[in-house]
Amino acid sequence: MDRRSALRSGSPGVQPSRVQPSRVQPSRVQPSRRAFLAGTALALATAACGRSSPVGAASPAGATATMRIGAIPDQDPEVLQRLHGTVAESLSAALDLDVTYSPVTDYAAAVSLFRTGDLDLVWFGGLTGVQARLQAPGAQPIAQRDIDESFHSVFVVNAATGLAASDDLRPLAGLRFTYGSETSTSGRLMPAYFLQQAGVDPQGFPGGPGFSGSHDATIALVASGTYQAGVLNEQVWTSRSAEGSVDPAVVQYARTPGYHDYHWLLGPQAPPRFGGDVAERLTGYFTGLSADDPGDAAVLELFGAGSFVPARASDYDQIEEIGRSLGLVS
Amino acid sequence: MDLTVGPAERVAVVGASGAGKSTLLAVANGAVPPSSGSVEVLGQDPAVLRGPALRRLRARVGTVHQHLELVGPLRVVHNVNAGRLGSWSAARAAWSLVRPQGLPEVLGALERVGLADRVFDRTDTLSGGQRQRVAVARLLLQDPELVLADEPASALDPVLAGRVLELLAGPASRDGALLAALHDPALALRHCDRVVGLSAGRVVLDAPAAALTVADLAAFYGAPA
Amino acid sequence: MTAVAARPVSPVLRRDRRRWGWGLAALVAVGWSLLAAVDGEVVNPAGSVQFGRFAAAALSPALDGAFLGVLGTAALVTVAYAVLGTVLALVLGAAGAVLVARTTWGRRRLGWAAARGVLAVPRGLHEAVWGLLLVNVLGLDPWVGVLAIGLPYGAVTAKVFADLLDEVPRGPYEALLAQGSGRTAAALYGLVPQAAGGLLSYAFYRLECAVRSAVVLGLIGAGGLGYQLSLSFASLRWPEVWTAVYALALLCLAADVAGRAVRRRVAAPRRGADVLSRDRVLTAAVAAALAGVVWSWWFLALSPASLVSARAREQAGYVLGAAWPPAADGDLLREVVRQSVVTVQTSVLAIAVATAGAVLVAGVAARPAGRSARGRRVAGSLLRAALLLVRAVPAPVWALVLLFVLLPGVLPGALALGVYTLGVLGRLAAEAVEEADARPRTALAALGARPSGGWLYGVAPQAAGPALAFALYRWEVVVRDTLLVGLLGAGGLGALLASRLAAFDWAAVTTVLLATVALTLAVDLVSDRARRALR
Repeated sequence: MDRRSALRSGSPGVQPSRVQPSRVQPSRVQPSRRAFLAGTALALATAACGRSSPVGAASPAGATATMRIGAIPDQDPEVLQRLHGTVAESLSAALDLDVTYSPVTDYAAAVSLFRTGDLDLVWFGGLTGVQARLQAPGAQPIAQRDIDESFHSVFVVNAATGLAASDDLRPLAGLRFTYGSETSTSGRLMPAYFLQQAGVDPQGFPGGPGFSGSHDATIALVASGTYQAGVLNEQVWTSRSAEGSVDPAVVQYARTPGYHDYHWLLGPQAPPRFGGDVAERLTGYFTGLSADDPGDAAVLELFGAGSFVPARASDYDQIEEIGRSLGLVS
Repeated sequence: MDLTVGPAERVAVVGASGAGKSTLLAVANGAVPPSSGSVEVLGQDPAVLRGPALRRLRARVGTVHQHLELVGPLRVVHNVNAGRLGSWSAARAAWSLVRPQGLPEVLGALERVGLADRVFDRTDTLSGGQRQRVAVARLLLQDPELVLADEPASALDPVLAGRVLELLAGPASRDGALLAALHDPALALRHCDRVVGLSAGRVVLDAPAAALTVADLAAFYGAPA
Repeated sequence: MTAVAARPVSPVLRRDRRRWGWGLAALVAVGWSLLAAVDGEVVNPAGSVQFGRFAAAALSPALDGAFLGVLGTAALVTVAYAVLGTVLALVLGAAGAVLVARTTWGRRRLGWAAARGVLAVPRGLHEAVWGLLLVNVLGLDPWVGVLAIGLPYGAVTAKVFADLLDEVPRGPYEALLAQGSGRTAAALYGLVPQAAGGLLSYAFYRLECAVRSAVVLGLIGAGGLGYQLSLSFASLRWPEVWTAVYALALLCLAADVAGRAVRRRVAAPRRGADVLSRDRVLTAAVAAALAGVVWSWWFLALSPASLVSARAREQAGYVLGAAWPPAADGDLLREVVRQSVVTVQTSVLAIAVATAGAVLVAGVAARPAGRSARGRRVAGSLLRAALLLVRAVPAPVWALVLLFVLLPGVLPGALALGVYTLGVLGRLAAEAVEEADARPRTALAALGARPSGGWLYGVAPQAAGPALAFALYRWEVVVRDTLLVGLLGAGGLGALLASRLAAFDWAAVTTVLLATVALTLAVDLVSDRARRALR
C-alpha cells in the first residue's frame, strides 16, 4: 500500500494539505474578513504557542512528524490508558520518532479517528480493525499478540440455571442473555457467529439480548442473575478467575473455537509521513519485544501478551464475513 | 412601651410611618419576640410556648396583615379556609384542597364582605380591595378572640371600610378585643373606643376616642414628633 | 350598608377543564408506560450483593496519590471544556434568543414558529451524538468537546432566554416604546433588567450542566473526568468510580456556590455612596470569568484555523455524502416507530419518578428563609449533598447498577434516568420553594396552622407551578438522555442509534437522528402547551 493507491481510492484519510493544495483556495474572500481571520488566528496561535492540547493531537499538517497512537483494550482499560507513557516511550525510542498517545474509549470514535487520519497506529479488536480497514483503504495490520492467533470466548451461566458445562449452545436460547460491548469481537461478534452455527438465533433470547458494555460488567450481571447467561473474552475470564474476584454464582458453560482478534493497524497516511518502510519497522519492533528485557516486559504486560507476532489482513477475512452477515460491517 | 388592652376594648393605633405600629402588632401576635420586656397575650406569653400549645394560642389571635399575605395561585375558598388551619388536622387540610370543606361557612364569611360570587376565583385575579376583603373573610372564619389588624381598610372606599371595621370589631363585642393600626383618623374615632398614638416606638397618646377630634389626630399624622 | 349587602349567590366550583385534562392525560401516560415496563417479575433480589458493592464503595473511594494526580489533571480538562462550552452556549443563546423571542416577531407567528423549529435540530441531538459527529469531521481536535457542549446548549439557552424575556411584565417595555424608544433600547431598559436574575441564574445552571456533559464527552476521547470515570467503570472499579464522582460533585458544587454568590449580589446590590460604585465581588466574578475563558483556551490549545481547514470541509463532505439521503427501508422505519414508543415510555416513567421524588424532597432540601432548628438545617444540607451526588453519578452508571437489582426491560433504564433527573429536578424544585414568598406561610403560622398546613396552603401552591414547569422542560432533556441507557436491555431510539453507529451505517443513523429530532420537537410542543395550562 503506498500513497498513490491511497489517492486513487479517494481516501478521505489522506492529508489534504499534502495532496490537494489547490482546492483549499477560497474562491472569493473579502480582504477585510480574511485579514480579520488571519489576525485572530495569529493572536490565538500565539496564545497557544508552545503548547499542545492535553486532549487532541497537533495539527496533522504540522511540521514535525509525530506518530499518534491509540488503543481500546478490552481488559483493564484503565491500566493501559493511564500507563500509556510506557508504550509511547518504548516505541519512540525504538523507532526514533515522536510518539504521542491519544485517549479514546469509544470503538466508533476510534474507527472514525483512524479514518480521518488523526490516529496513525491503533490497537483494534478484530471487528473494529476490519471496520477501520474498510473505511481507510490502504491500512495494514502490523502485529498481533501470541494469544490473538487463536483467541477464545467463554459462555458463562448463573449457577442457579443448573446447567452443567457442555459444548451444546442450544440450552442458552431460553435464557436471559447478555453480550459485552456491541462491537466487541470476543464479547459479541464471534459468540453470535458460533451461536448461529449451533442453531441459536443470536438476537433471539427472551426480551432480546443485552449489551453490558464491558466484559467485567457481563460477569457482574450474570452473577446478579439479572441475565442468566453471558459471553466474554476468555483472557478476562481467566484473569478474573485467577484473581479470585469472580462471584461463585458464575460458572463457565462453554468455550468457543479459536479465532483472530486484537491487532495493531497502521493508517494509510503513515508511510508517506514516516517513510515507506515504517510498517516493517513497526512489525520488527513489536515482534522483537522480549519478555526477558525489563523495558519490553513492561509493554508486553500492559497488553497481556507473551509476545507479538506478525499479522496479515487475510487473518481477518472470516471476521469480515461474519460482520457482514450480522449487519455490523457495511 | 407599656400598653394593656382589656376585654371588649376596641383600640386604634395611630402614628406616622415607621412609628412602630406594625412592630407592635407583630409582637402582639407572637411573630416577633420583644427585644426586651415581656408580652402577655390572652393571659399567656407566646415567647415561652412551644408546639401545639403555641398553635392553640395563635389560633385565638387573628391578624389582618398589612400586605395581606394571601397566596395568589390559590382559589379564594382555600385562602379563606386557611383561617381554620389552626383547628384542622393535616389530612383534612390536604383533602380540602381537593374538595373544599365547610363551604357554607366560607360563603357566609364572603357574603359578609360582599365577595361571595368570587369564591372559586384565583386570588391573584382579584383587585387590591377585594383581596383585603378576602383577608377579612379568612379572619371571620378563624373567629379569634383578639383581632390584630394592620391597615385593614387602606384599599377600600369609605362605605366598605366602615363595614369591614364593624366586622373586625365583632369579637370585641363578645369580650374579645380589637387592636387596629389605622391611618384614617375619622375611621379610628368612629369605630374605636380608645386611640393610642405611637412615635418612634413610644406611646405618646392614649385617650378615649370620645375625647379626641379628627383635627387632633390629623396633627398627629402631619408632623412626627 | 346596602351597597355590600350580598344577594344570596350559589357559585359552583368550576374545575379548570384544561388543567384537569392535562392531569388526566399525564396519569394515563404514566399508567400506560408503567404497564409496558412492569410486565411480570421486575425485581431481582439476588443482585443486591452486586449493588451493595457499588454502594459500599461510596464510603471507600480510591485515594492513592497517583490516581488523584490523574484525576486532578482530568478535572482541569473538564473545567476547560465546561467553561468554553458554556461561554459559547451563552453567546449563541443570547443571539438566538433575539431570533426566537415572541417580542421580536410580534404577531408574525409563522416566522416565530419557523425560527423555533430551526432550533429544535441542534437541541434534539444529545451532546454525545454531537461529539461523535464532530469527531468524524474535526478528528481529534479540542473543538469537538467545546462545540459538542456549546451547540446544543446554545439552542436550549436561546429558547430559555427567549422564554424568560417573553414572560417578564411588558408594561415598562411598552411605556418606553410609547415614549419613542427604539425596540432594542426599550428591551435593554424595560425587559432585560427584569429578566436579569433569571438569565444569570440560568447561565450558572448551564455551567453546572456543562461540567456534567463534559463527562459524557470523555467517552469519545475528549478526555477529562468522564474519560477516567468510564475507564474505571468498564472494569467496575467502584472505588475509583466514586472518587471521580466526588471530584465531579465538587466541580458542580463550585459552580453552584459561585452562581449563588453572584446572584445574591445582583439581586441585592450593596448600597454605595453617592458615586456609582462597582461591587468588588461582581468585578472579581467578571474578571474570573474572563480569565477562565483565556486559560481554558490556552489549556486546550484551541486553534480557530482547524474549524475552517480544508480537511474539516472534506471530512464533513464524506460524512454528509454517506449520511444523505437517509435510509428509508420498511424494516428500519418500523423499528424506528417501535423504538420511539419505547423511548416515550422510558422518558415518561423517568420524569414521573423524578417529579414525584422532587416534590417529596423539595421542602426539606430548600434552604429555610429565616431562623430554623439545627436539625432542620442539617437535614437540608444532607439532602442537598445527596441530590448533588445523585446527579454526579452518570446515567449509564445508574443504569448498570440498577440492572443488578432489576430484571432487563424498560424499567431499569427509566429508573436510572429518573434517579439521575431527580438529582437535577430536586434542586430546581427546592429553589422554587426558596423563591416562593415566605410571608403567607408566616401568616398561617401566626393564626395557629400546623407546619404541614402552612406548607400545603402557603408554600406548595406558589412553588407547584414553577416546579412542574421545570419538570416539563426537563422531560425533553430526558427524551434525549434515553440515548445513554438504551443499550442495557432498555431499548429505545438510543439503542437503535448505538447499533447503527457501531455498524457505521450513516444513512440509518440519519433516519434515527431525524426521528429523535421529531420526537424532541413533539415533546417540546406538548410540554409547552401543558406549561401554558399551568400558568
